[in-house]
Amino acid sequence: MKEPLIRMTNIVKRFPGVVANDRVNLEVYRGEIHAILGENGSGKSTLMSILAGLYKPTEGTMEVSGVERKFRSPRDAIACGIGMVHQHFKLVEPFTVAENLMLGQRRGGMLVEQGKVAAEIRELADRYGLAVDPDACIWQLSVGEKQRVEILRLLYQGSRVLILDEPTAVLTPQETSELFQNLRRMADDGCAILFITHKLNEVESLSDRVTVLRSGKVVGTQVRASLDRKALVNMMVGKELQVQPVRKSTRIGEVVLELKAASALNDMGRKGLDELSLSIRSGEIYGLAGVAGNGQRDLAEVIAGLRPMTGGDYLLDGESANGLPPRTLIEKGVSYVPEDRLGMGLVPDLNAVENLMLKDYKKAEFGGRWLLDYQKLSDWATGLVQEYDVKLSSLLQPVKLMSGGNLQKLLLAREITRQPKLMVVLYPVRGLDIGAIEAVHRLLIGLRESGAAILLVSEELEEIVKLSDRVGVLFGGKIVGEFPADALDLEQIGLLMAGADVQAGGEDSALSR
Amino acid sequence: MLFRVEKRMTTPPSLMVLVPVAAACAAMVFCALFLLLTDRSPVAVYGAMFEGALGSEYGFSETIVKAIPLVLCGLGISVAFRMQVWNIGAEGQFYMGAFAATWVALNFPSLPAVVMLPFMMAMGVLAGALWGVLAAWLRNRFSVSELISTLMMNYIAILWVSYLVYGPWRDPKGLNFPLTAPFPEAAILPSVGDSRVHAGLLLALVVALLLQFVFRKSRWGYEIRVIGSSPSAARYAGLDIQGNALLVMCVSGALCGLAGMVEVSGIVGKLQAGISPGYGYTAIIVAWLARLHPIAIVLVSFLFAIIQVGGFMVQTLGVPAAVATMIQGAILFFVIGADIVTQYRIYRVSGDGSEVND
Amino acid sequence: MKKWFKVSLAALAAAALLITGCGGEKKKAEKPAETGKTKVAFVYVGPVGDGGWSYAHDQGRKYLMEKMPDVETTIVESVPEGADSERVITQLASQGNKIIFTTSFGYMDPTINVAKKFPNVVFMHCSGFKTAPNVGNYFGRMYEARYLSGIVAGKQTQSNVIGYVAAHPIPEVIRGINAFTMGVRSVNPNAKVKVLWTNTWYDPAKEKQAAITLLDGGADVIAQHQDTTGPQQAAQERGKFSIGYNTDMAPMAPKAVLTSAVFNWGPYYVKVVDSVKKGTFKPESYWGSMKDEVIGLAPFGPMVADDTKKLVEEAKKKIIDGQLFVFSGPIKDQSGQVRIQAGQKMSDAEMLKFDWFVEGVDGTIAK
Repeated sequence: MKEPLIRMTNIVKRFPGVVANDRVNLEVYRGEIHAILGENGSGKSTLMSILAGLYKPTEGTMEVSGVERKFRSPRDAIACGIGMVHQHFKLVEPFTVAENLMLGQRRGGMLVEQGKVAAEIRELADRYGLAVDPDACIWQLSVGEKQRVEILRLLYQGSRVLILDEPTAVLTPQETSELFQNLRRMADDGCAILFITHKLNEVESLSDRVTVLRSGKVVGTQVRASLDRKALVNMMVGKELQVQPVRKSTRIGEVVLELKAASALNDMGRKGLDELSLSIRSGEIYGLAGVAGNGQRDLAEVIAGLRPMTGGDYLLDGESANGLPPRTLIEKGVSYVPEDRLGMGLVPDLNAVENLMLKDYKKAEFGGRWLLDYQKLSDWATGLVQEYDVKLSSLLQPVKLMSGGNLQKLLLAREITRQPKLMVVLYPVRGLDIGAIEAVHRLLIGLRESGAAILLVSEELEEIVKLSDRVGVLFGGKIVGEFPADALDLEQIGLLMAGADVQAGGEDSALSR
Repeated sequence: MLFRVEKRMTTPPSLMVLVPVAAACAAMVFCALFLLLTDRSPVAVYGAMFEGALGSEYGFSETIVKAIPLVLCGLGISVAFRMQVWNIGAEGQFYMGAFAATWVALNFPSLPAVVMLPFMMAMGVLAGALWGVLAAWLRNRFSVSELISTLMMNYIAILWVSYLVYGPWRDPKGLNFPLTAPFPEAAILPSVGDSRVHAGLLLALVVALLLQFVFRKSRWGYEIRVIGSSPSAARYAGLDIQGNALLVMCVSGALCGLAGMVEVSGIVGKLQAGISPGYGYTAIIVAWLARLHPIAIVLVSFLFAIIQVGGFMVQTLGVPAAVATMIQGAILFFVIGADIVTQYRIYRVSGDGSEVND
Repeated sequence: MKKWFKVSLAALAAAALLITGCGGEKKKAEKPAETGKTKVAFVYVGPVGDGGWSYAHDQGRKYLMEKMPDVETTIVESVPEGADSERVITQLASQGNKIIFTTSFGYMDPTINVAKKFPNVVFMHCSGFKTAPNVGNYFGRMYEARYLSGIVAGKQTQSNVIGYVAAHPIPEVIRGINAFTMGVRSVNPNAKVKVLWTNTWYDPAKEKQAAITLLDGGADVIAQHQDTTGPQQAAQERGKFSIGYNTDMAPMAPKAVLTSAVFNWGPYYVKVVDSVKKGTFKPESYWGSMKDEVIGLAPFGPMVADDTKKLVEEAKKKIIDGQLFVFSGPIKDQSGQVRIQAGQKMSDAEMLKFDWFVEGVDGTIAK
């Protein structure tokens, strides 16, 4: 254990306008499982991508077994025995497992001996308990099996350092525990495992050491023997936030949205919402904290009518809204600002006028039964663009040419001008610059002041703390904790977000359910 | 020196026009080289081509005749394609339109023209529309790709017409040859002078203008534009995607059916097998090259008609049909290939990967 | 951007030069045509290289050129039978052709239409039935050769199943199948002729596939009525026999082709062109027979037994002499009912609209 297998020294990675990694040092030893912990945007993935040869570091050096290396591509990293399993698998669906493993292999001549390869794969699979049939086609496999194929591929390529990017995000609990056993076996066999996560329980149950990143910097490394979850959460989230909460709402009214034990399936057919209950009042911003992928989008789509519920009740102003189509919900005053602005909220190839009119084009003032009065629409759109300070070179340009901030302002202009009763906003400031973030926040507060109920979904605690009148924590498709704005406990929120079973700890007075 | 290719965010309108024109010219230069290699004068060959298609009043009128079904089918296809509903069943809808129009002409021979022609038109439109809607229904109900269903339904329609003309609809006076009886005079579309340019031209132009108006000014045009550009945004905004798929295929099929009616009534004067030498398929390329723009479809159809009409005239110089087809193919290949210039930006990069210039 | 503009402009200019340039050239090129040569044009439905129908007509054209050096011919091949054919015929007429042979059934009405506008041009339409003051039609009594080839097939078959790949259920094809079957049954009353419709004239792959289906169904000799040699190739590949049609198909499948029922258009084309030049042309419906040498049988393949050859030669002689008429009674249809009484002969009119199969044919005609 003296000589580290990997040593990264003073790694700096700059992207235009962002420092993703700032003088990071990391050592990885043979036979250890090393967790990389941090919130979204803390630089974990960038760091691992550098190690896997996907990115070139701006500064700093990397040593593998004491020899300095510069990777120009993932191929170089693989040649040094370093491989990465990405969150989105890179497998060829119609091919068999064996064929996928052979792809990109340069050993041997033009001909490959399928039988020999299959035998090698079986042997590897047996050794580490990665049960996969080499002759099965990828599309026939479950997500867990696909992940095993990805791991097998790395082993087959001779990798001794395996990097896994949030490996459990797509797995069932059963599959997760199997994965952990297999990873342990590989580590015992002398491999080094690096895995990215933001779940505390995984860190506790699997890793030998954990390195915590925040804002691109290493804030600390702990070894298993002296693991302290509170200390970890503080490292992750930061002791104090640099935000001044805005003035809280003074006019909280009736309950607008109420979900009772709502359940729904996610895109993969698994439980996305698990008997989630939630209520939001008019004039209130409800901030929903949580790590992405815990059911945020499923919740928003249920409220917007885009995703069917498999159980529970959805009430709007006290009336059942179960199974109503999107159009009806829009007419009832439900507004949804999706995270994917250009993929869902706006039509990229159409211009600003055509995007602004998306939900209003049937209004009588914009034409008769059949036709549209583009002159009127254009005047109306000009007004909106000015009112909401959207900067664009021409109303007639496709909106895909606009910057992220202006896109979001355009989207909010369309939604807010309809005076919604309820708005669900997902990650409204993701990818925006400071000026735009401020503008978006002002718009949301303005909407709250006008009496709307707002469900703000964010992964940035700063934003939640700043805007919310009430904060809930979403984990595993459930609200696992709720806090009024004046009794926020960041440490608790951080623990809940990371999946710690706080109630079992028994000391949680802040939980007000 | 390296080159890098990048998708363009927008295409300057000037490029959209200039590039295809330049590509067509490049194709002709390319074919000229080939013709020279085979000891033929490219000047004479191209001369015959344009002379045949445009050089005389007759050739010009025939080019228009050839363009009419292409325009109608192309317009029909554009309606569906605008919503990203891939109707490649124009050929089948054309045949169904021809079939239904013939049914009227054969079964009600004594109707006066003022009743007969609108009746034939209505039935042709209806048959084409039903044939299209069927594919849309399959798509909505069973998620059957309309790409496959419309293609397969082409064969059904073509063989159905074959069955009729070889079987029950044979002209009793036709010595059992595979032709229906000639249509009564009232079932023939009026034509201009003694040329074969028939009233279908008027219909095609009216439909083109109408669609141009609908696409630009109507609520429905806006809806299919939204659905076609981004189905997820359309769903998000609560637009009726399935209902519009039905409607779009209905209109698309109706126009192709109208093309079939116009062809039997205006040109052939009876139903026979092989009434379409692939209009429905050529129209797909027409619609695509015209970027689904109604007015451009009229122009591109005319260009295609020139190429095809001219192609036969080239043969009279002793050029085999295969060479004439090659010239047509080369022009298509170049024009479609040149799309990369309008869709993508190609620029040079220096060794270290930074951009050199546009 | 600017660069593109310049390039496009240059290309446009070049194209304009090409087009205008060729206009001038064209006028010069037309002059030699006025040297007194008679211009004759042919319109083909398939490509000349189809090895079948259009090829046979083109062989006739070549024969014509050889015999009459003062004739200049133009061909247009692969002309669809829809709207295109009328235009092609019109343009050929206006290019100064004096005689135009339109060689597919679907050209009949277009030919008649164009003929009205060009009273000084003679039109000859093959395989139809309409005539006009300047339009004649012509065809061959292929049934005679079909009958003879049927004798060859009937003698050769071991399985007593003979496959027949047929294009479309029209009288011409039905007549051929019936004559062939009667030839087969004249020497082998137990044999059956199995018919498979392809619904196409020119689709080599499909026709080949149809022949393979028949071979797999037990047939050991394949006859055909198509424009291509696809069925012959199938027979050759499967090591079975076949009867060619249109032209001598032995070169395409030497191991399979027993003989071919062929057209020999050359002499007739010479006759027509000669009559037009002499001014003696009269529109007629010409149905050339074996006696006229418009119809014939290609040389036998080496696998045909000598006694078969003898049988065929005898029958051929009788047909030419008029002693043997193929469709003379008694003829039973598929249901066993006598359709043509003993002692009766079918008239041309009856033969021209044949719509039923004789006994021994295994197949159906869509009604």
